[in-house]
Amino acid sequence: MTINGVPREADVWPGESLLFALRERLGLPGSKNACEQGECGSCSILMDGTLVCACLVLAAQADGHDLVTVEGLGENGSLHPVQEAFVEAGAVQCGFCTPGLVVAVADLLRRDPTPSDDAIREALSGNLCRCTGYAKIFDAVRIAATRA
Amino acid sequence: MELRQPSSAEEAVGLLGNGHVALAGGTEIVPLLRDGLLRADALIDIRRAVPRGIHGTTIGAGTTLAELEVDPGIPVVLREACRLAASPQLRAMGSIGGNLLQATRCWYWRLDFPCYLHGGDRCHAKDGRHDEHAIFGNDVCASAHPSDVAAALLALGTMLRTTARELPLAELYRLPTTDDPQTTTLADDELILELEVPIPEASVYLKAMDRQRWSFPIVGVAAARTAGEVRLGLAGVAPVPWTLTSVDDLDRATPLPGTAYKLPIARALVARALRAVATG
Repeated sequence: MTINGVPREADVWPGESLLFALRERLGLPGSKNACEQGECGSCSILMDGTLVCACLVLAAQADGHDLVTVEGLGENGSLHPVQEAFVEAGAVQCGFCTPGLVVAVADLLRRDPTPSDDAIREALSGNLCRCTGYAKIFDAVRIAATRA
Repeated sequence: MELRQPSSAEEAVGLLGNGHVALAGGTEIVPLLRDGLLRADALIDIRRAVPRGIHGTTIGAGTTLAELEVDPGIPVVLREACRLAASPQLRAMGSIGGNLLQATRCWYWRLDFPCYLHGGDRCHAKDGRHDEHAIFGNDVCASAHPSDVAAALLALGTMLRTTARELPLAELYRLPTTDDPQTTTLADDELILELEVPIPEASVYLKAMDRQRWSFPIVGVAAARTAGEVRLGLAGVAPVPWTLTSVDDLDRATPLPGTAYKLPIARALVARALRAVATG
């Protein structure tokens, strides 16, 4: 599979999740492991350009696919505009949901550069913030949208 | 455990059964495996074996909910049921065929209580907490079927084509009995391949849920008017997706103390849905 533009290989157990393989075998711990049920969105990544929960994809099923994790969003060592907006808005509390949200927001702004509040709510409905810091997260999306 | 990736339906059918379980989008099977509620000696990845995509009124069983909800050729009731079914991530992954085969969200079943569905001798929900449970078909098991999509497809009069037969969607389901916990008639080595979905004159899906996005239905009501005839399909009210032949069927509901609140919600949504498809 290709991860963040680089061809990668891993030996995996057939029942193992892509999230486990990313974090424990491929040195990419940015995607977080929380609910393992597809409920919280902390492990959101892009698979062939589609936002998915890496905890529900088997690592072996990702063979031959193109993946982008939170580590692959920024270019040339600089932050992605969505990451900069999260910093600027202070949209991070405990930080556990942040990587998944950053990937989900980047995906939203790529499809809809000027999203309405309803569109933001819908796009981020699968990403739960246990600190309930949604207001600042919304601020970050609006900041990022002005720069997209 | 092993993972096999057959490239045709025939090959997949040959691999299924005897503890070999089909896997498509993963949103249902992977959590069930992780929680120990489903045991598999092998997983059969059917993504290359089952059709995916929309061709006129035919929907491949591997088509994702996200693909269906944005297709203008898909009836409104089905698009809306897909849109309201889950989060964007899950809708992008989950297939329509898998959605029809979801296990119940009954917390006793999920916590592995020895209930009828697990081969036990009672329904723990009936004597315990059952606020999210059934108001119909709950003689034996009081669980509620979570599929919004199935309710929509029932209202549309959907036919299924499997690797073994063609059948109306309603015949995919059976109420569990004390000696047989199955809620579907699908064989272990049978795959849903395609859905044939008639185009209605008007249709609507209305859903009551705890959260405005991505919750399982308290009550979901699908209505479609096809060739002048209105059909109703309900989610979250019985151990299987439920068809109402008329609004009077609501008088025959058998709510439990904790689910009595669902009946007025169902009445209100059915009345509203019937008004919507009468004129839409």
